[in-house]
Amino acid sequence: MTVTGFTGIVIIFLFLGSMFFFTLTRDQEKEKNLRQIPAFRRIKEVIGLTVEEGSQLHVSLGRGGFTSLQSASALAGLSILQEIIKASSVCDYPPVATTGNATISFLAQDIIQGTSKAISTEGHERSSVGELVGLTPFSYAVGTLTTIRENRVSANILAGWYGNEITWLTTAGERQNSPTIAGTAQLPAQAIMYASASEPLIGEEIFAAGAYLGKKPMHVSSVKTQDIFRWILVVLMILGIVLKYLGMHDIFQSILMGVS
Amino acid sequence: MNIKFKTPFATAVAIGVGVIVLAGYFIPGLISLRFLFLRAGLVLAAVALIVGILNLFAVHFRKMAQNDDNSGYSLILVFALIATLLIGFFDMFQSYMFGQPNFQTISWLFTYIQLPIETSLMAVMAVSLTYAATRFLRRNLHTYAVIFFFIVLMVLIGTLSIFTPEVPFLSQIRQWIVQVPALGGARGLLLGIALGTIATGLRILIGTDRPYGG
Repeated sequence: MTVTGFTGIVIIFLFLGSMFFFTLTRDQEKEKNLRQIPAFRRIKEVIGLTVEEGSQLHVSLGRGGFTSLQSASALAGLSILQEIIKASSVCDYPPVATTGNATISFLAQDIIQGTSKAISTEGHERSSVGELVGLTPFSYAVGTLTTIRENRVSANILAGWYGNEITWLTTAGERQNSPTIAGTAQLPAQAIMYASASEPLIGEEIFAAGAYLGKKPMHVSSVKTQDIFRWILVVLMILGIVLKYLGMHDIFQSILMGVS
Repeated sequence: MNIKFKTPFATAVAIGVGVIVLAGYFIPGLISLRFLFLRAGLVLAAVALIVGILNLFAVHFRKMAQNDDNSGYSLILVFALIATLLIGFFDMFQSYMFGQPNFQTISWLFTYIQLPIETSLMAVMAVSLTYAATRFLRRNLHTYAVIFFFIVLMVLIGTLSIFTPEVPFLSQIRQWIVQVPALGGARGLLLGIALGTIATGLRILIGTDRPYGG
């Protein structure tokens, strides 16, 4: 096993161990003090509004694949979809999900059917669920525009992998006067979302949906673990800067070469 | 007796395969097994694509019959889908039966229809982005919005070649913005995203998140 491989395994076990530790020692009172993320508060508001109005939510899962680096965003989007279906179980119309990836559309349909079955809302009218609307970035964006413009859709939640084409989806939502909450892991798309979405999910906020919407113990623990690892990285970076100023910046490289 | 077998079985298979693929990144002995699973995943994704296209066809065929504003778009999509499929079969027939160069008509369709349309859409996007930036300032008139808008403006002006020979400091400011605060911010965001990705992956590996079986 290489040094990099060994380090990777150690980090994963530490991460996992930390997640389990925080789950076992969880304090529900303290969990209420999670940092406020306006986008998640807005999602709860729009779900409430949808129930009152008898309208429909649109969840766009982006066009990220399942076998690439984009999968984390897509999985986070599916997690958000699951929480939204649970929360909007009393809506007249179930949420409609659109995606630009065939595998994700399968999983979205599975989640919609599975979660609806679990919360016994299968009998509701469902005209379209887990739609694959287009396979290229622009065809996906154009296909999603028709869903955003549907009269029944009162709010849009965009969570997944997007490129610059996200600007069309967010501006279309704005033109329809329907709030658009958007999150992705792709940086240029995040910049666009910041400017054009009603509420953007910046950085890793998209991955915290389970902790904020579902209050799931393991999700809250993973948010705490991420914070700890973030501080470790900050300390390591500052240490690296100090060592560089002291002319000892190759110390870690020497140690690693010695180990291997 | 109601035995629920499907979900635990699917979860066990997903966790098992996930652990082996992850271990394959770190343990050289498992590399071949990792590639085997990944290849199987790719084949399944290709099958999913076929089913996804059938779903796309079914959804728009149903929408076509509905009396709403978007039914015309669905009609165009269904027509284009069938036409492209028929042309593809025709091309395949030509190639295999008469030995003609591969998929000429389909290539023509992509080069002269799909590509120009997508390029035009890309051009429209520039306008759309500018519109979004101005709307942003109008909608949220707070400190960060003003900073965002003026930095965008400065970077845009710094990028324009027409200004750089006359006002050289603008391109230097642009370069500094791009290389120092923007790059630093982007790296910070990427580190956060990497941690979020690890957390999401691990939650799926231990079965807390199950994007399958409901």
